[in-house]
Amino acid sequence: MGVAFDRCDTRPANIDAILSGLDRYNPETTTVFQDYVVQQCEDRTFDCYANLALLKLYQFNPHLLQPETVTNVLVKALTVFPSPAFSLCLALLPAYTKPFPSSEADAQSAQTSDFVESVQKLAHLSSLLESAQYAQFWATLNSDDLYADLVADVAGFEELVRIRIAVEVGKAFREINAEVLEQWLDVRNRESLEKFVTEVCSWEVDKSGAKGTVIRVPTNKENEARSEVKSERVDIDMFGRVIRRGFEQVA
Amino acid sequence: MSYDERVNAHPNLGDESDVEEEALVNDYREQVNFDDGMSELDRTTSLGGASQTQDLQAQLAAAATPLEYQATLETKFASYDNYCSLFHYILNSDGPVELEVPSYYWAWDVIDEFIYQFESFCRYRNRVARSGSNEEEAQLLRENPNTWGCYSVLNVLYSLIQKSQINEQLAAMKRGEDAAAFAGEYGSRPLYKMLGYFSIIGLLRVHCLLGDFSLALKTLDDIEMNKKAMFARVMAAHFTTYYYVGFSYMMMRRYGDAIRMFSHILVYVSRTKNFQKGGNSYDAIAKKNDQMYALIAICVALHPTRLDDTIHSALREKYGEQLIRLQHGGPDALPLFEELFRSACPKFISPTPPDFDNPSLNVDPVDHHTAIFMDEVKNTLYNPTIRSYLKLYTTMDLKKLAGFLEVEPEKLRSWLLVNKQRSRQIRWVEGGLLDGESVSANDLDYALENDLIHVSETKAGRRLVDWYLRNLARVY
Repeated sequence: MGVAFDRCDTRPANIDAILSGLDRYNPETTTVFQDYVVQQCEDRTFDCYANLALLKLYQFNPHLLQPETVTNVLVKALTVFPSPAFSLCLALLPAYTKPFPSSEADAQSAQTSDFVESVQKLAHLSSLLESAQYAQFWATLNSDDLYADLVADVAGFEELVRIRIAVEVGKAFREINAEVLEQWLDVRNRESLEKFVTEVCSWEVDKSGAKGTVIRVPTNKENEARSEVKSERVDIDMFGRVIRRGFEQVA
Repeated sequence: MSYDERVNAHPNLGDESDVEEEALVNDYREQVNFDDGMSELDRTTSLGGASQTQDLQAQLAAAATPLEYQATLETKFASYDNYCSLFHYILNSDGPVELEVPSYYWAWDVIDEFIYQFESFCRYRNRVARSGSNEEEAQLLRENPNTWGCYSVLNVLYSLIQKSQINEQLAAMKRGEDAAAFAGEYGSRPLYKMLGYFSIIGLLRVHCLLGDFSLALKTLDDIEMNKKAMFARVMAAHFTTYYYVGFSYMMMRRYGDAIRMFSHILVYVSRTKNFQKGGNSYDAIAKKNDQMYALIAICVALHPTRLDDTIHSALREKYGEQLIRLQHGGPDALPLFEELFRSACPKFISPTPPDFDNPSLNVDPVDHHTAIFMDEVKNTLYNPTIRSYLKLYTTMDLKKLAGFLEVEPEKLRSWLLVNKQRSRQIRWVEGGLLDGESVSANDLDYALENDLIHVSETKAGRRLVDWYLRNLARVY
C-alpha cells in the first residue's frame, strides 16, 4: 500500500492545479485555500499538503494571516495522530508563537496574544495525543472553555479523535478492559461504550470474565504479533553484474 | 548488493509533473505581476550596452565569490543588486545569452553563494532586531524590506528552472528519451541547463531553511537520487543534496529514509576522502560530514537500525559515548539530543523582516524548530526502555513490568502504545521522494491481551545473496 504525502483523494481539481503550479505562492490564492480549510472542517476530510501551502502563504505574507484559520488547520492536524502533520504545520508558523514554551514564566511573560495562547494550547493537546496519554487529553480538553471554542469549527472533532484512538487501540490490543477504554475514549457510560465498540469498531463485548467487562478485538495484522523469520528479497537485478560478466567472457 | 542500491535500481516512476510544468511556463508571465521579485530585478537594469561585457565578467566572478566575513550591510545590499542585474541579464535578454562561463563549477557556486547570502542576510537581520543594539543598521534594514526578499529569491530560482526547461529534460531522461528534444532554445545551452539544474537543488535548500520539509522533497520529483545524477559531478552539490534530503526526511519522521540518505553520502565521502583533501571546499565538507554523523546518531537512537559497517565504526569513533546515552533514552538524554540537533541542523531562517520595534517578539527560527523536534523526542523518550525490557520476555504481565520500571500501569500502557506506533514508518520504495509504504521498522513486536503482553521477535534470515555474490566475484 503506497502512501504519498503530496496526494489526497478528496482534493478538488482546482486546488491540485494551484498546488502544482507557481500559483501556490500567489497571495490571491489565500482565500481559495482558506475556503478549502472551511470545507475540510465541515466534511471531515483532511489535506495536509494543501494546508501547508496555506501556512506557507501566511509565512511569506504575515499580514494575511487569519488566526482562526491557522488554529482550524492545527485542530484538523490533531485528528490524524500519530503523524508528523501537526509538527509540520507548526514548523511554518511564526517563531513568536513558541508552541512549546520552555517554562511557565516563558509562557506568561511575553504579553501573549490570544493567537499565541491558542497555538500553545493546541500544541499541548498534540503532545498528549502523540504520547498516547488519552485520558489526560480528554481531561485537558474539558478543563477549559477555550478548548471548546478552538475545536468548535471542526465538525465531529471529538468523534474523529475517538475513532483514531480506537484504531490505535485495535492495533495494539487483543483484549482490553472496558474501564481503561472508557477513560481513553472519554465515554463515561457503559452502554454507550458498548454501542461504540460494537457498532463503530465491530469489536466484541465479553461480560463473562472474572475481571469485569472485557472488550475483544478481532485479530488483525497489527495485533497478532507473530514471530517470523524475515528472509531476504532476491530479484534478478541483483545478479545483473554477474550475468553481464558471463556474457562478456564468452565474447 | 545493499538495500540502498536495490532501491536505486528501480526506475523513478510516477511522474505526472511534466505536463504541469509545461503549463507553468505559460503561467509564468502572468504571474510576474504579483511577484515583487520582478520589480526588484527591473530596478537594476541600468547597465549600458557597451560596458556590459566587461562588467559582466566581473559580475560573473563576483557572483560565485563568497563575501568577506565582516562585510558591511552596504556590501550585502550591493551584492544583492549584483545578483539581480546578473540574473536579469541572463533571464530577460532577447534570446539566450552567449556567455563564457569562467569554470565548470561556476553554476553551482553561483547558486550556492546566492542562497548562502540570502540565508546569512535573513539571519543577520533577525539578529539585529533581536538584540536591538544597533539602531543605525536596524533603521537601514527597516527601510529596505525587499532586499533579499523571499519572493525575489524564489523567483530567480523558479525562473531559471523554467527558462532551462530542466524539469522537462530530466523527466525525459527518466523515461529514457533524449533530453535535448525537450531542452528548447535556452535549455540546450550548458549555462542555462546547469543553472536550472542547480536551482532545483537550491530550492530544496531554501524550502528546508524555511521549514517546509514536504515541499523541499517534492522539489526533487524529477531528479533521481543516485550517483549518475548530474549533481554527483560536483562534490559540494552532491553533498548538499543528500544533507537536505536526509534532514527533510528526518523532520517528517521518516528516520529510515533519513539514515539511508546520510549513509549513502557518508560512505561515498569516506571512499573519496583522499583526493579531496586540500580542495578549497574541504573544510565546509568536513563540517557537514560531522553534522551528518550527529544526525545519524539521532536517527539511530530514535529508530534502531543496522548501519553500514563503515558508518557504524565512524559513528562510534566520533560520538561513541554520546551514542550510547542517546540510545539509552530517558530524561537524561534530552539535553544531548538538543545539543546534537542544534549543532547539526540547517541554519533556519524567517523569510520576512522581523519586528524591529519589539525585540522580544523575534525568536531565533533555530529555537523554533528545535522546540518542535524536541517535543517528538520527549514523546518517545521511553521507547528504548520498553524495548530493552520486552526483549527479555515472550509474555509479561503489565503490572509486573510497571513494578520493575516503577511507573503507574496507566503510564506504561501509554509507553507501549507509543513504541508500537513509532515502530511503523513510511519508507520509500519507488517513485517521488514523498512516496512510500508503511512498514514495520522494528524487529520487536507485541500485542496486549488485557494486561498480558505477548512479545514476538522478527529474526532476519541468513543473508545469502550478498555472500554468494561476493564469492562469485572472487572466484571468477
